Amino acid sequence: MNVFKNPVAKKRWQRFRQSRRGYYSAWILLVLTLCSFGAELFANNRAIVVVYQGQWHFPIYGDVLSGKDFGLDYSYEVNYRELKASLSEEPNSWVLMPAIPFSPLETDLIAGDFPPHAPSVDTRHYLGTDTSGRDVAARLIYGFRTAIVFSLLLLFFNYSVGVAIGCMMGFWGGAFDLFFQRIIEIWSNIPFLYVIMIVASVITPGFWTLLFIMAFFGWTSMTWYMRTATYKEVARDYVMAARALGASGPRIVFRHILPNSVSTLVTFVPFSVASGITSLTALDYLGFGLPPPVSSWGELLKQGTENLEALWLVGSVVSAMTVILMLVAYIGEAIRDAYDPRKFSFYE
Amino acid sequence: MTGYFVRRFLLIIPTFIGITLLVFAITRVVPGGPIERMMTQIQLGGETGSLHRSQGGGTLSDEQMEELKRYYGFDKPMLSSYAIWLKKVLQFDLGHSTRYQDPVWEIIKERFPISIFYGLSTLVLTYAVCIPLGLAKGMYHGSTLDSWSSAVVFLGYALPSYVIGIALISLFAGYWDMFPLGGFVSDNYEEFSAWGKAKDIFSHAVLPLIAYLAGSFAVTTLMMKNSLMDNLSADYMRTAAAKGLSRSESVRKHALRNSLIPVATSFGSNISLLLGGSFLIETIFNIDGIGLLGYEAIIERDYPIVMGILVISSLLYLLGNILSDICVALVDPRIRFGGGRGA
Repeated sequence: MNVFKNPVAKKRWQRFRQSRRGYYSAWILLVLTLCSFGAELFANNRAIVVVYQGQWHFPIYGDVLSGKDFGLDYSYEVNYRELKASLSEEPNSWVLMPAIPFSPLETDLIAGDFPPHAPSVDTRHYLGTDTSGRDVAARLIYGFRTAIVFSLLLLFFNYSVGVAIGCMMGFWGGAFDLFFQRIIEIWSNIPFLYVIMIVASVITPGFWTLLFIMAFFGWTSMTWYMRTATYKEVARDYVMAARALGASGPRIVFRHILPNSVSTLVTFVPFSVASGITSLTALDYLGFGLPPPVSSWGELLKQGTENLEALWLVGSVVSAMTVILMLVAYIGEAIRDAYDPRKFSFYE
Repeated sequence: MTGYFVRRFLLIIPTFIGITLLVFAITRVVPGGPIERMMTQIQLGGETGSLHRSQGGGTLSDEQMEELKRYYGFDKPMLSSYAIWLKKVLQFDLGHSTRYQDPVWEIIKERFPISIFYGLSTLVLTYAVCIPLGLAKGMYHGSTLDSWSSAVVFLGYALPSYVIGIALISLFAGYWDMFPLGGFVSDNYEEFSAWGKAKDIFSHAVLPLIAYLAGSFAVTTLMMKNSLMDNLSADYMRTAAAKGLSRSESVRKHALRNSLIPVATSFGSNISLLLGGSFLIETIFNIDGIGLLGYEAIIERDYPIVMGILVISSLLYLLGNILSDICVALVDPRIRFGGGRGA
């Protein structure tokens, strides 16, 4: 593929880089996303590295280690936080814990206080805990991973269905086009959130079912766009020329029409990502999203609004969402400018 | 063009049937419907009742089950019960709520004033704020006003309105205690004087209205600004400048009208908000409008109400879309829908 040598694409890429805000936002978001895939290294109740009597262990990605392995008197899994304290005196033994030494599903109840616990550096709950004593910071990180993976997968499904059906509608036209036009008309008039709530209340979805339900109701906008784009391309001379040379239907679609129309889809990607994250969080907030105990931002928001005195719950989720969605919006703005530079002028 | 709109109106019928049939089918195959609810209720009631009656059986007999199913219309196949439901809807009978036993239409009608209050205020405020602001931002592009308001607009653009609502309620109602924690009016609303009543409604309405506004505010302002800037560089503006009009005059007389066209397209979608409200914002602020009713109905599996709200909101949505197009056709004589010759 010579997409990257294409002078138009090159120019767009240069314009994208020129808008510094969008370019840096893209990098930050990419780094955050990659970090979230290694969330176990940042928030976990297992240690990253344990060196015990000169021997190295990596408990996160290795086997489960019991207390006996470290000369303790129990055979269930080691509590690495206690291990760290007990090993601090011993020579050539040490424990490196993640920055947040709690797993997102672990309840840590502090004696003499009811959860949610306020943020404190002493207990190492930097953002406090939720109503069942789970660490908020850990749940935020894992919740971000859920949200971003969910919205990227949703984007993938929506776009592949949209591109496939939209392209066929534009290329074949006729009865196929008419039939799907009606379907899209029905689909796009469905009150999206309400129907998803009804469906989700009925079948209590898991990750994949929820993804499927959202994709089932969300594929239409891309389809409509692709249909128009294909229609425009089909009428152009180069397609006629390809036909005259005897190119088959699939060849015209895949070699000529798709490369010319798909690139513009990039401008919609940031908005789809943002809407994926916000609708998943909204569903979780209303209680129709992912089942507990999956870490999710919506569920934290729900706890926060039910316990308004625990301001750190709402505060941390809202700040996290603001940061992520602002980054996405900056990227979207930069991509749009790269595709359609607005040269502003007026007459006086 | 009349033909085009007649066709659009006729298309409402299959679309409406499509939506309702889809949801109707879903509610049918779902476990935990009203019958199961009633059974558990009777079982629980049976247990407490059995303290008094030694032979108090908790379960229902088959006969009673049949009767219940007939009462809710669950005894017939799905398509025929859908036909019966549709026929009733056409006679403006949405059935009875399985939870309250009242007619669905009465329950929904009770909530209308609240949703209309918020919908109308949002609509008026959005246009009253966004059009002048977008105008100022477009005319003085790059000025201090433009860059400062851009920051606010961008925040409202990036964040969904429910997140803004949650942030507002936890800060201003939960933490600083400046506004009430939700609801439409206070409990002792009846005791207030007329002035007190107005003040009460106002103090309850401030936070939800900001949240509602945040949703449409950014989009409308940006739309207004961008379309004004497009028009400012148009040829007819050069002509206007050439014949000696001042800048503000040429904007007022020529560019302004043309830049209102895209804003008019958003008018129709606001109509459905007018009555439908937002599930999320009404849930967050505990406002007893149609959105909250729909949310509770889903949780309680009160399907007649769920279907009733679906009927109303999808009709509004369909009508709103057509209304948008009519608005566009009214403000922009260049636009011809339907594409036919001279249509």
